[in-house]
Amino acid sequence: MDGVLNLWHATGIANFTFPALIMIAVGCLLLYLAIARNFEPLLLLPIGFGAILTNIPVAGLSEPGGLLYYVYHIGIDSGVFPLLIFMGVGALTDFSALIANPRMLLLGAAAQFGIFATLFGAILLNFIPGFEFSLQDASAIAIIGGADGPTAIFLASKLAPDLLGAIAVAAYSYMALVPIIQPPIMRALTTQEEREIQMPQLRTVSKKEKIVFPLMVLSLTILFLPAATPLVGMFCLGNLMRESGVVDRLSNSAQNEIINITTIFLGLAVGSKLAADKFLTVETIGILVLGALAFAIGTASGVFMAKGLNKISKSPINPLVGAAGVSAVPMAARVVNKVGLESNPHNFLLMHAMGPNVAGVLGSAVAAGILLAIVG
Amino acid sequence: MDIGGLLTTAASLMVTGMVGVFVFLTILISAVTLMSKVVGRFDDPATAEPTRTAKIQPQQGVPQAHIAAISAAIAQFRNKQK
Repeated sequence: MDGVLNLWHATGIANFTFPALIMIAVGCLLLYLAIARNFEPLLLLPIGFGAILTNIPVAGLSEPGGLLYYVYHIGIDSGVFPLLIFMGVGALTDFSALIANPRMLLLGAAAQFGIFATLFGAILLNFIPGFEFSLQDASAIAIIGGADGPTAIFLASKLAPDLLGAIAVAAYSYMALVPIIQPPIMRALTTQEEREIQMPQLRTVSKKEKIVFPLMVLSLTILFLPAATPLVGMFCLGNLMRESGVVDRLSNSAQNEIINITTIFLGLAVGSKLAADKFLTVETIGILVLGALAFAIGTASGVFMAKGLNKISKSPINPLVGAAGVSAVPMAARVVNKVGLESNPHNFLLMHAMGPNVAGVLGSAVAAGILLAIVG
Repeated sequence: MDIGGLLTTAASLMVTGMVGVFVFLTILISAVTLMSKVVGRFDDPATAEPTRTAKIQPQQGVPQAHIAAISAAIAQFRNKQK
């Protein structure tokens, strides 16, 4: 009889707690969004599964000795996984649109206002009872506005590891929601004539320029913002491997195998942070609200900056491309292209939007560096 | 509570952060513009040459071996027709 009782106590049914069941349901919701709705499936699928695994009673996958515990400590606590992803993103990024029109960097800079305004908003939330965000927490939440998953995870792992699960889930969910969040804001802030503006074709960029570019970005980061060099450095390494053309094998590995393997474990490790006691808090709701706000403000400030640039610039600039300043490569650029085509079926803005789009990646990495340097 | 203090820190962080991002990216803009000019100066003769040679190549006409092969094939075809 004792044996049967012991066996019963070892089953999941006897050990389930209500919060853990809710978190497993959250994991299933993420799986549903990934599989049925195709929302950032590459990340939401492993994150959702990680959330299920970590909440399994008895197995203790996220406790010392468990697989997810080690994956988290090796990959995220150390900051290694987001940086490996950044190397792959660098190897996937073509900077020619930005090199051809470097002023687009200003749009990437303006869109980072979403980050810093949200930081202020997160501290404001402290007036509501139940919220106690420190400056570190607020900075980690605000970086969701950078619309850059690896940057958000990197900064959260350094500044607010407890909030990492909620921050990563919010960042990736909103990145998937870019086609829904951005267009209404873009339409509200621009006139029909502005949306119809056609931009002159970009010049071709030489191979030498593309090779010098990552080295130059790195040197400037070393000189002015060494705190951002982990992110920018890995990004530039990936990009140099791509553009140099002499290490195609390495560049291909960074773009495919390395980024894919890392994505699996990054997702699992983030999912392991979706434990009931950490996620089912009022703070998570605050993070989700602030994340959406950060995206909206970033989009709006990018559009405003583009409007301003259009007024003073000799060559016309369609204000829509400003919205691509929140990184979310290449989704934000595609959204700009789509909204542009709605107003003028002959106006293809994709290449023009890629400039601010990759500028946004650099901008959010720089913003992360600034936050690390001041708050970290 | 020192929320007031936190708020002032957050506000100053907002200003320094935005100024920092803008200053850094503005420096990058001038650096990229300068780099494009410098590289363009080095690059011009190098890129011009290959395009010139590329244009000449097709004008050199069909290689002798191809002409020989084609005329042989035509001759064979005509022989068969008879």
